[in-house]
Amino acid sequence: MRRREQLSPEEARELEAIDVALAGGSVDHDLRELEDLVHEVRATAPEVSPALAARLERLVEHGPDPATGPAKPRWPRRRWVLVPAAGTVAAAVLALVVVLGNGNGDSSDAVIRDTGASTEAPAVATPGSGGSSSADESAPSTGRRAQRSESAPAPAASSRSGLAFTPQSRRKVERSVFLVLATPKDEVESTADDVIQTVDRFRGIVASSSIAADDRSGGEATFDLRIPTSRVDEALGALSKLGHVAERRQDLRDITASFTSTQDRLDEARAERRGLLRALGNATTQNRIDSIRARLRLVRAQIASARGRMASLQRRANYSRVSVTVRGSAKAEPGGGSWSPGDAANDALRVLEVIAGVALIALAVAIPLALLGAAILFGARVARTRRRESALDAT
Amino acid sequence: MAEPSNTAMQSFDALYRDSARDLYSYVRTLLRDDASAEDVTALAFERAYRRRASFEARRGSQRAWLFGIARNAALDELRRRRRSAPLIADLPDEQIRALDEQAEQSLRRATVRVALDELPARERELIALKFHGGLTNAELAAVLGTSESNAGTRVHRAVKKLREACHAPS
Repeated sequence: MRRREQLSPEEARELEAIDVALAGGSVDHDLRELEDLVHEVRATAPEVSPALAARLERLVEHGPDPATGPAKPRWPRRRWVLVPAAGTVAAAVLALVVVLGNGNGDSSDAVIRDTGASTEAPAVATPGSGGSSSADESAPSTGRRAQRSESAPAPAASSRSGLAFTPQSRRKVERSVFLVLATPKDEVESTADDVIQTVDRFRGIVASSSIAADDRSGGEATFDLRIPTSRVDEALGALSKLGHVAERRQDLRDITASFTSTQDRLDEARAERRGLLRALGNATTQNRIDSIRARLRLVRAQIASARGRMASLQRRANYSRVSVTVRGSAKAEPGGGSWSPGDAANDALRVLEVIAGVALIALAVAIPLALLGAAILFGARVARTRRRESALDAT
Repeated sequence: MAEPSNTAMQSFDALYRDSARDLYSYVRTLLRDDASAEDVTALAFERAYRRRASFEARRGSQRAWLFGIARNAALDELRRRRRSAPLIADLPDEQIRALDEQAEQSLRRATVRVALDELPARERELIALKFHGGLTNAELAAVLGTSESNAGTRVHRAVKKLREACHAPS
């Protein structure tokens, strides 16, 4: 159809002559035959019958008869453009529901994780690996913890009642908790004081602490605490009330195997010492006496080492390690505070953020749908046009 | 649907007065059947009346818009006809009537009518749009959905075929 878009001058002249003839004008002499053709074709034009003329007159005067006219489409013309808009609204509502569903409550940004019980060696809980990995006691992190623990004042008591939370009373479990509290930026120091008072109340130990001041954010205070395991849940509840819990994690490590093997080594060393003492009493020669005493010194050192290790394990089981971070935050509200215009501005900003997020999600859903819909509509239109045009080829 | 304003009604009335005969001639030439042509012409005016609010002047003249509606209706009729029984055109009667006329002019017109009727549908449509409808090449392009130069080329080709058919020995 588009093989020859450009008309030759002669063709253009003939077309122009046709237009002139149709308009009733005269054409050049050499194109008279074309002019005659135009008139002949015009003269063959079918005439409108009186019946059709009357029908059309009625239509123009009174409009189409509603009873005989085509049925009104369910969707008025151009109403389809509302489909993407409806899709956008639906997507926005869906996204809003999702956002609100996830953000229920005032701890929307809090992270609470419980890594569950783990054996001593692995950093991540691997239930079923048992205590066979207890020999890995020399892992760097564990070693550092032990050193810090020993640098702290010795616990007053190491009663086994502190293991009451373990699934089996004879098992030794070390518990570590990581807690991040958000407070208003001007309350970091007072909250830090409250943390220390809470630790004292539960007969805990502050292994280390630090406070970093910052005028803009209010600073940050960190505490490395040891809380009696028997009261750690109670203490965590009290600590959590001091601020907004932004994050909380806890880790349980089964150290029963380490404890048992150390106990066994201690028992063996003690038995060997008793045997050596008996042998020393029965010794008759100086060489034999010297040899036994040298061995005794070695065994005593082993006993002391095992005892120290036992004490360390006992402390780790009886005292839970609690790391608390108090962080100044402009939006933290520990509860009970008055709602200031600044808070209102923050809330308004948060609302705007949520709306923007919802709108973004809605657009992410609506735009592909709209493009798909437009492509389908375009394709349908092209197909319909082609079907219509094919009717010309068939006649 | 809202009641049409007086201006709109006058405009539609003017369009009807100006185009009804030409539109019917175009549709009749395309369909080659009086009854179908009358129905399609009436349907085209009905559709135009209902859609007159959607007419956009920037997309072409009112006349081209009306012929576009009529063309779609006529093509739908051709498709419907293709699915049903083929039309038995009333050409023989026309020929017989033409042959009965003794005047030379009548004979020429009969020759043109026959030649036009025997053209392929695409060329016949172009001749009808141009000669009966009196559309400019720009309006033709709007109706056919093509460029103005392409419309001109196609019209010229159709006219050439018509001239050849008129001069062909019967």
